[in-house]
Amino acid sequence: MSLTNDQKIVLFRNLARAMALDRMMMRVIRAGKMVGFYHEGGIALAPGIAAGAFLQKEDPMWPHYRAHGLAHMLSKGIDIKYYVAEHMGREAGCCKGRSSFHMSFPEDHVFGFSGNIGANFPLSVGYGFAAKYKQSGQVVMNCSGDGSYGEGRCHEALLMSANWKLPAVFWCEANGMAQHSNVKDLFPGPNVSSLAAGFGIPSMVVDGQDLFACAEAALQALAHVRQGNGPIFVECKTYRVQEHSVGGVNYEGPNQRDPELMAKWKETLNPLALAAARLLAEKVLTQEDIDQIKADAEREADEVEAFCEASPKALPSVAEMQAAVYTA
Amino acid sequence: MSSQRELTLCEAIREAYVEEMRRDERVFMLGISIQAGTFPHTKNLCEEFGTHRVVDTPLAETGMAGCAMGAAQEGLRPILDFMYAGFSYFAGSEVFLQMGQYHFLHGSQHPLPIVMVGTCGVGRRVGNEHATLPYGMAIHHPGIKTCMPATPYDAKGLMKAAIRDDNPVLFLWHTNLMMHKGYVPEEDYVVPLGVADIKREGSDVTILASGLQVHSALKVAEKLKDEISVEVVDARSFEPFDRESLLRSIEKTTRLVIVDEDFERGGFAAEVSAQVMEHGYDLLDAPVRRVCHPNIPVPGGYIDVYTMPTSERIEEAVREVCR
Ligand SMILES: Cc1ncc(C[n+]2csc(CCOP(=O)(O)OP(=O)(O)O)c2C)c(N)n1
Ligand SMILES: [Mg+2]
Repeated sequence: MSLTNDQKIVLFRNLARAMALDRMMMRVIRAGKMVGFYHEGGIALAPGIAAGAFLQKEDPMWPHYRAHGLAHMLSKGIDIKYYVAEHMGREAGCCKGRSSFHMSFPEDHVFGFSGNIGANFPLSVGYGFAAKYKQSGQVVMNCSGDGSYGEGRCHEALLMSANWKLPAVFWCEANGMAQHSNVKDLFPGPNVSSLAAGFGIPSMVVDGQDLFACAEAALQALAHVRQGNGPIFVECKTYRVQEHSVGGVNYEGPNQRDPELMAKWKETLNPLALAAARLLAEKVLTQEDIDQIKADAEREADEVEAFCEASPKALPSVAEMQAAVYTA
Repeated sequence: MSSQRELTLCEAIREAYVEEMRRDERVFMLGISIQAGTFPHTKNLCEEFGTHRVVDTPLAETGMAGCAMGAAQEGLRPILDFMYAGFSYFAGSEVFLQMGQYHFLHGSQHPLPIVMVGTCGVGRRVGNEHATLPYGMAIHHPGIKTCMPATPYDAKGLMKAAIRDDNPVLFLWHTNLMMHKGYVPEEDYVVPLGVADIKREGSDVTILASGLQVHSALKVAEKLKDEISVEVVDARSFEPFDRESLLRSIEKTTRLVIVDEDFERGGFAAEVSAQVMEHGYDLLDAPVRRVCHPNIPVPGGYIDVYTMPTSERIEEAVREVCR
């Protein structure tokens, strides 16, 4: 499936925005202005942009937590500043400053997050079940890393989705790492998506550094599920060029990861640079257009930060919180 | 021999691991990214014990817990590292319903020596799964022993006791204490499970606390020393629980404040309070007071300073029972 030039420009702009926001988040956490932890996206954000790009507002999505789902959410059209405000513990936060790192945009069918990795899989079964039950035509975008496929609930979810032919995309952002372990030490085989075959679920493997390849895969996967063919598994191969979590170690098993290799990846596999080169070569954008898009993205990131800082820290009383546990 | 050598709580745990793994080849460790040392208590353990005894697993808490249980049935002595104790909830059936109950239900013929570890505690602004303290859950389920050290000394001694114990032991520590330093002897010693420790003597009121909250209680005791004489009892272990030591303390002080960072409803503090009503009612001159986490999910953001027991809240409770 080929992309229109307009689609390519939107994708490119959104990747520039996500990468600028990721850098802003790094500034904010280093300045001690973020609550909780942050998992830098780095050069791994093209799959997230593609995952969100072709969803309708009512299509449920669970973002992968790398860059804390910023790419997925902004690509789906969510106003990201309320999430960043949440991460800065502010009243304007999408969870009223109560969660540190959870997203909550129920109107956009992005319902939340969990610190327990893998919690999303059974929920996505539920989203798909509800879509079929309601005959709503909704499709589910279940994003995760490759490491999360260790959890048994992921396998249960693949089984249930296949059995019930649910309209779900299992979108895997495979950076080859899970915390301080190399996925090749955790999974017997080169591609996590090979799991899908056992459940009769079709799968594809895509270059996660190629924004447009990811987007084409998303279009293809969504067409598959929208036609009622049941679930599909997309594995985007990407890279982690920094530590798992800001301030942590960068090991795989007992050994330090190779800094030169990571530097080389960072240098040669930047998805924004790769996409820019394509757009220039295809004469879709000029260098001035590209510079403008990047400058706009930086400005937006600064504006988001300023918006969050202007919102007061959320400090509800215990009584207020007690009244908020149950709904009336 | 016992110079005043200081270690962090993590280093003390690590030292217990090293000594016990040298002593007993059946002891091995299982966890996510423990080879790299997600936390310093497993740092460089592979160097001495190799990757076959310090085993990295996929993200698979259910599988890890079941694997530990099966390996224990076959004679090994696993240390199962959940990283954050809240991740153990993915293995709820194995941890709460099976490990502890299997022995009794199968005629008490085949014990399950498993140590489960995890860090936990409120006050890191991450909320919920990374904060929740599962000892209340654990004591509710028969068959699992549960402890939480407040000092590096106790950490090493309790860990040795846990590893040598033939029952499943849930060994927790507070994330804010991981780098807390204190005296740790180089020699082999054990702090038995089920023995509380008086961390400060006093005569007017007893504070029962554990983990990080022992330190909050000690702060209060120091602050009030010219007004109220506070005795701080560190529970150290929740199950078995050393009721006798607590009753002896209350006999002297006649007043009790229980500090418990877990949710207030149905937790350890509630359990102790009921036990004191049943076994020590006549010793009390004032109703027992609890200082706990309110019955709301552990929030993230800046809010957890309000919800965790603080020195201020503890002081208020102490003053109230001493009125
Ligand atoms: C149930 C559970 N187990 C372990 C963790 C700790 N943890 C957080 S992220 C992570 C690695 C996840 O790897 P992957 O899904 O591949 O995502 P990536 O970070 O590589 O993008 C681990 C082990 C957790 N948060 N929850
Ligand atoms: Mg990964």
